[in-house]
Amino acid sequence: MLNLTKNIERIIIRNIEKQYIASYFSAPNEQNDDFKALNLKTNKSQFGPRRPLRKVKPVETRTSQMEVDQDWGSVWPAPRSFHPAVVPLPIRQGYVEKGAPPDKYANAELMKIPNFLHLTPPVIKRQCEALKKFCTPWPKNLNNQEKIEKLFPIEVISSDYCHSSPTIRDPLARIVTIRFKKSALNLNERETDKFRRLVGERYNEENDTVTIVTDRCPLKKQNYDYAMYLLTALYHESKNVEPWEELKNEADMEKYVWENNASKVNVERLFNKTSSEIPNISVYSEALVNYMNEGENDYTVAKYGEAVKQLLNLPSSTK
Amino acid sequence: MLKSTVDLLTRTSNFKKISCKRLSTVAQLKSNEKLDGFRTVQEDPLKHNSEHLAQFYTLSTSEKNCLFQHGGLPKSFEIQTKTFNETSFMIREPAIEIINYLKAIDYSKPPVKFVLFGKKGTGKTLSLAHILHYAVRDNFLIVHVPWVGNWMRRPKEFSNSDIKEGFVDINIDAAAWLLHFKVQNAVLLQKPEMRLLEAVQWNSRESTAKDVPLVDLIDHGINRIKFASRCVNILAEQVKGLSKIGVCKTLVAVDGFNAFFYPNIKVYTDKKEKVTPGKVTVTEGFLNLTKFDWHNSAIVVTVDELVIAQEDQISHYPRYLLGKTGFEHLDPFVPVHVTNYTKKELISTLDYYRERRWITSYPGQDDELYSLSAGNPYNLMKLCNGL
Repeated sequence: MLNLTKNIERIIIRNIEKQYIASYFSAPNEQNDDFKALNLKTNKSQFGPRRPLRKVKPVETRTSQMEVDQDWGSVWPAPRSFHPAVVPLPIRQGYVEKGAPPDKYANAELMKIPNFLHLTPPVIKRQCEALKKFCTPWPKNLNNQEKIEKLFPIEVISSDYCHSSPTIRDPLARIVTIRFKKSALNLNERETDKFRRLVGERYNEENDTVTIVTDRCPLKKQNYDYAMYLLTALYHESKNVEPWEELKNEADMEKYVWENNASKVNVERLFNKTSSEIPNISVYSEALVNYMNEGENDYTVAKYGEAVKQLLNLPSSTK
Repeated sequence: MLKSTVDLLTRTSNFKKISCKRLSTVAQLKSNEKLDGFRTVQEDPLKHNSEHLAQFYTLSTSEKNCLFQHGGLPKSFEIQTKTFNETSFMIREPAIEIINYLKAIDYSKPPVKFVLFGKKGTGKTLSLAHILHYAVRDNFLIVHVPWVGNWMRRPKEFSNSDIKEGFVDINIDAAAWLLHFKVQNAVLLQKPEMRLLEAVQWNSRESTAKDVPLVDLIDHGINRIKFASRCVNILAEQVKGLSKIGVCKTLVAVDGFNAFFYPNIKVYTDKKEKVTPGKVTVTEGFLNLTKFDWHNSAIVVTVDELVIAQEDQISHYPRYLLGKTGFEHLDPFVPVHVTNYTKKELISTLDYYRERRWITSYPGQDDELYSLSAGNPYNLMKLCNGL
């Protein structure tokens, strides 16, 4: 029994050997048939003749093939990141320790920012032409800025977004901005003061404009309604006089008003007259109000000094 | 040599007082050096006018001792006067402007207040010193506080006031000031009219009777140091009263006036509680003197960044330094801006330094120093110390 199994094993092993040998001899021959000696020390004679380098001719860039009068709008139709082979300009960007800034090829610096190279005047013109059919004509009588401001005091700004993604909603589309002139509300001085305190930094003193941005609701319509609500509330709240507002005193004033300050009392006591009877008082009070409201600088201090000299009847300059 | 001596003699009004030392110091003029450029022979501030601008004049030693024996000049300037062996002031525009006004003012009206302001080291204190010299020549009674900052930021000693609840006395400083006042007005105080207008009851035992000379009141304050602060206030009231009845005309000159309104001061009560300047007894007296309710007087004060704490030194303008209450107290006042040196003034100073052999000259020196110091007198002095 044991012998039998041994014989079977031997037969199997022999078969496998045969297969290996057959496969070895049927393998393709090596290129050099002669067996090379192992040469540990290399010497020059071993190197064969050098093959001439095959020069790969670079493909000509697109910029070099461009026509002078090509249609740029179809070369660069929309904003995209910079591509050196498409922009026919010798642009350089970046910084190296010594030498000129790197050129446009493989320049990461240039690719960082998206650019709007498509916005050339002819392309803009073309795009406007294309959009024109969606627009209604401008009302003829609204021909100047004054009329626009008077008839449409509120400016509403919102954005729509359109891009190739699975959803047509963009969260930024909900934001609504309204803008209007404070003068359009016709508030008096007290109301103006309260209104300004209520709107805070949303008011721009330079162009008298209030800007309210609403983005707390999920939809544009809701945000617009909220902005309108805010405007209404602001208007009526600034008209409203609370009982504690009567307690406002000199320290709470946002501006220096000469009439209700110690300076008036001082001057009246100094001259022993009421302020309206004192000569040159208006010059003085004006200079002082300027000094206090505009802040101290060489000009306001000098003006104040001149006014005091006039008030006290001193010669303006003694030289 | 002879010529230079003659020059020196003509420059000094008081011939007899030239010491031998003075004539033999290093500061001898070479005969070819021009004198007129930076020096004036006119030593009387009464006659100074805009023609003398940017020129130096010399204060006689006796007058210096009378005016500035107990302070009134900046320390670094004081050292320099010792080095130069003379006290010379440059005649500058702010001082001239105020002096001209002092000549023109109608003294029957309430006092005109002048506020000298300017950046650090521009010469406010020295302008005030020049004005003081004018005042002493014009027979003003001088109420001069050399540096309020010393009282508020570095008082020698403080103690609770006996008569006024919540007030703090700075008696040693007050007594020192009384002495200063006495020395400055030594001549005027000898006048028989300078008398106490009303009796003062110090406590149940001590009192000063009516019509005693004012000097006695001052001496009482100096000798009984406990009453010094109160004495300052009483003296202020008396000075006002005497001016009102026309016995004297008064110049109130306070250096660092804004210290009276700066809340962060280093004066404490006995319980180590911080007080405001309004609660320091002497403040009352000087605020009283700077009110409009008297006449026959003029007020010149300086506002200075240096009297307030370093962290608050933001602006050098009067409204900031005085604060709201301080401004309202002085208003309406005439602000007088003390500026940096003009080129002419700078060259004049350098000529003076060269004449004193304080700096050696080299080509392009004036321009270089003008750029380095930016025309600031204090900076210029510091720069020249090393040359």
